[in-house]
Amino acid sequence: MKSSLGLLKALVVLVIAGIVPLFIKQDYYIHLLILVLMWVIIGSCWNLISGYTGQVSFGQAAFFGVGAYTAGILFTKLELSPWWGLVLGGWTAMILALIIGYLCFRLRGPYFALATLAAGEILRLIANNWVDFTEGMVGILIMQTFSSKLPYYYLVLGLAACCLGVISLVMNSKLGYYFVSIREDQDAAESLGINTTLYKNLSLLISSFFTGTAGAFYLNYMGFIDPSVVFSLHDISIQAILVGIIGGVATIWGPALGALIMVGIQELFRTAIFGLAPKWVSQGHAMAFGILVVLTILFMSNGVVGDWSKIKRLFIRKSPEAAS
Amino acid sequence: MGRGNRVVGWGVFFLLLTGLIWGPVPTNAQEVIKVGIILPLTGEKAKFGEIEKNSFVMALNEINKAGGVKGKKIELLFEDDTGKPDVARSAVEKLVSKDNVVMLGGGYGSSETYSIAGVAQQKKIPFLINTGSADKITEQGWNFVFRLNPPVSEYSEAAEGFFKDIAKPKTAAILFENTLFGTSGSKEVEKSLKDLGIQVLLKEGYEHGAVDFKPLLIKVKNGNPDLVYMISYVMDASLIMRQSMELDINPKMFVGGGAGFTLPEFYQNAGKAAEGVFSADLWVPSLPYPGAMEYFKNYKKAYGKETEYHGAEAYAAMQVIADVLKRAKSFSPEDVRQALAGTDLMTVFGKIKFTSYGKMTNQSKVPTYLVQWIKGRLECVWPKPVATAPYIYPHKPWKGR
Amino acid sequence: MLVFVQTIVAGILIGGLYALIGIGMTLIMGVMGIINLAHGQIMMVSMYLTYVCFNTFGMDPYLSLVVTMPALFFISFYIGKYLLVPLIGRDSILPENQVLMTVGIAICLTETMRFIFTSNYQSVRTGYSNKAFYLGDISFNFPLAVAFLIAIGITVALFFFLMKTDIGRAIRATAQDKDAAVLMGINQQRITYATYGLGAALTAAAGSLLLPIYYLFPDLGGPFTLKAFVITILGGMGSTVGAILGGLTLGIAESLGATYISMGYKDAVGMVIFLLVLIFIPGGLKRFTKI
Repeated sequence: MKSSLGLLKALVVLVIAGIVPLFIKQDYYIHLLILVLMWVIIGSCWNLISGYTGQVSFGQAAFFGVGAYTAGILFTKLELSPWWGLVLGGWTAMILALIIGYLCFRLRGPYFALATLAAGEILRLIANNWVDFTEGMVGILIMQTFSSKLPYYYLVLGLAACCLGVISLVMNSKLGYYFVSIREDQDAAESLGINTTLYKNLSLLISSFFTGTAGAFYLNYMGFIDPSVVFSLHDISIQAILVGIIGGVATIWGPALGALIMVGIQELFRTAIFGLAPKWVSQGHAMAFGILVVLTILFMSNGVVGDWSKIKRLFIRKSPEAAS
Repeated sequence: MGRGNRVVGWGVFFLLLTGLIWGPVPTNAQEVIKVGIILPLTGEKAKFGEIEKNSFVMALNEINKAGGVKGKKIELLFEDDTGKPDVARSAVEKLVSKDNVVMLGGGYGSSETYSIAGVAQQKKIPFLINTGSADKITEQGWNFVFRLNPPVSEYSEAAEGFFKDIAKPKTAAILFENTLFGTSGSKEVEKSLKDLGIQVLLKEGYEHGAVDFKPLLIKVKNGNPDLVYMISYVMDASLIMRQSMELDINPKMFVGGGAGFTLPEFYQNAGKAAEGVFSADLWVPSLPYPGAMEYFKNYKKAYGKETEYHGAEAYAAMQVIADVLKRAKSFSPEDVRQALAGTDLMTVFGKIKFTSYGKMTNQSKVPTYLVQWIKGRLECVWPKPVATAPYIYPHKPWKGR
Repeated sequence: MLVFVQTIVAGILIGGLYALIGIGMTLIMGVMGIINLAHGQIMMVSMYLTYVCFNTFGMDPYLSLVVTMPALFFISFYIGKYLLVPLIGRDSILPENQVLMTVGIAICLTETMRFIFTSNYQSVRTGYSNKAFYLGDISFNFPLAVAFLIAIGITVALFFFLMKTDIGRAIRATAQDKDAAVLMGINQQRITYATYGLGAALTAAAGSLLLPIYYLFPDLGGPFTLKAFVITILGGMGSTVGAILGGLTLGIAESLGATYISMGYKDAVGMVIFLLVLIFIPGGLKRFTKI
């Protein structure tokens, strides 16, 4: 059956991902992998609410930031280890999701998107100005608990596996059908008796939970957060969308691939292919991104994974007889 | 779609596998000594990053031409933090684990510097900060982190001297940008002013990049303070002065807290509104430090533009780095750290010696100065012994000019 | 009292400029149904063009309106034709593709400008850049006042265009009911492109007017796009009068917020209004007007 094949593949991937860091000598590359895995989580969560359920969110930064600040504020105000934030960050993000859902799900399509954008920005401005609570732009700094990168790697790998696992389970269940039906035609779904508001909220709750947890992980790993970093419209919310789009919306592995491409392109350009290319290349990463987005939407609007068959056809030409 | 997914899944991780096992190329570090410098080379702060990078390179070339250190040349590996603390962290990761640098330098924006310092301390790699100025960076007791430049709380020392002896303002308004630099700077200034018995009528932050500062300035005009102190980067500084002129705000003194106010671009953009504006400054070329004026002239010759205190900090940092590497018993992090701690060197920026005072550790104490824009030129006006021009005080009302 | 009046004046003046930015976006959204996240970037490109005109040809920014408006009209016309219109009606999973395409366009425009002009802040200094005139104790920023008047002028011209000319009426018809308009013989595609160009031209005007009082750098687009949205939603999609009211409302609200709450929260005021209007007054202020 389809799902057991998929499960096998997933396990193989997990095992490979688990072994790979043991062969890598330089911490820098493990750092990159950790970033990739973090974006796998963020992108997949965006994908759940936007790609699968059709409610395009421009405000994932709201959940990420809230998760990060949960960990941070527990540290600064209550002197608790930021690891507590890892446990609680997802829950505070879910509370925020309930509020945002209540306010915004009455809006459709692009209006919902804009409302989530506004939500993210409002939170950023609050975090910026409520200095007594959040330290504002002074930011929150912690020392990493582990000096080796491996514990962080396995932790985020576990989180990513959990996240993808949950999303996969959900999408293969009746819940998944409801989500897709809402995306395809919300009114028709409603008239069939599906409680669209309930399911939209459920989707957002799951999405916000893992995004918030990723935010708390971010504080624990990177050691420093401030509102412009974790509530950033451009660096978090829009990146999440790009990861999903380029990788492939409404696919399980799409955002994962998108995360890899994105972090890869960013570092490759910033370092001018690790020093091998001329210096001016390092200025080009944002442009490369922009061009990639335009081309992807024009020609592969379902992303690399979604339009995989189209891409294959570019490289493999099968004659009609050979196809059978 | 299922088959496509599978192919993709395998493909992705095989790519990863091969890329990463093959990727790490052993670096050949025998011929040069590698030092990592992290600066904002792109993004909003790129202008300063450029001045600092140019200054580092100028100093580096002079040092290497004179024989380098222990017969080897120093190589500077510049990394771009794009003005963001998380990218700064990635930059440190790369420099430390991939490029195997013996020490780190740079650090422009306070948030980025704070982030880098935390990582440097954790990885036990010596880090010489030359610009990031938020006080708390050297208040953590981190023994691998050293700072050449004064913390932002000391920026206004010369200005305060002027307030005490000459201006004696009774009330003040403090405006600052909502960043680590602005927020922490304004807190320190407020403290210092209160200690001088000056009443702070208004202390308000703004999101940098605003078009219209009038709401803020109207409040200032209403309060009619004797002193207006501003902590801003260059474009906000220009707009604030221009709009103050428009609203006809006439305190006895406008003082900037360094950063944007000392750049030539400030005068270019603010024009008449910049005339007579004071600023805290950390360096002027006329200071009696060996090489200071030559550095200023050489920079202008080489790059066609004028340098200012950020560039001087970077040039001095390079001087310190070369001196440290010369004195270090070996290039292990601990030996480099010890050499850093024992620094006692005269540079274009002043005498660099790291001491601990107050809450701070490994902080070098350099005097600060008060400058003023007079007839389009930035003149040093206080303290008197190093002044290049007499100060103009009080501020001439806008309408009468 | 003085503070209050001065605050309101400042708000109205900047509101006029905001309105011009908003009209451009509301037209595009109303007629094409396209959410243009590259709106601020179009303004940014226009500002660079104005800058070049000023520095190379000595052209006053107000004069350069005759250059920037047509230039951006054509640039956007072709962007619309090749990148946006093909997406309408294309079958893909996410209908919001076109919004995301504008994100890509925005990035490309920003980076192209950065490549040509570097990230340095640029500004133009005209003789009147810092001038202010006074009515009693209230100061009026001269360039902003001029911008305000020009914005009104452009709006009036736009009204004539939309009400009296054939193309104008065709645009309004398409905005009201695309299919019926096609049935009436209107070349819907051409009208769509023309509207995108027109919206861009208006935004370009706003940019040229803004340059004397602000400054220029490649990343300046983002916050203005957001403001344009707030105004469009506030005023109601497709309604020019709504955009004007929306622009003025936003300007005044921001000004009051900055003075009486704090300058740091100024941008939050816009966002909060945005959310409130989205949630509680769907359709915007145009509900209260007739046009």
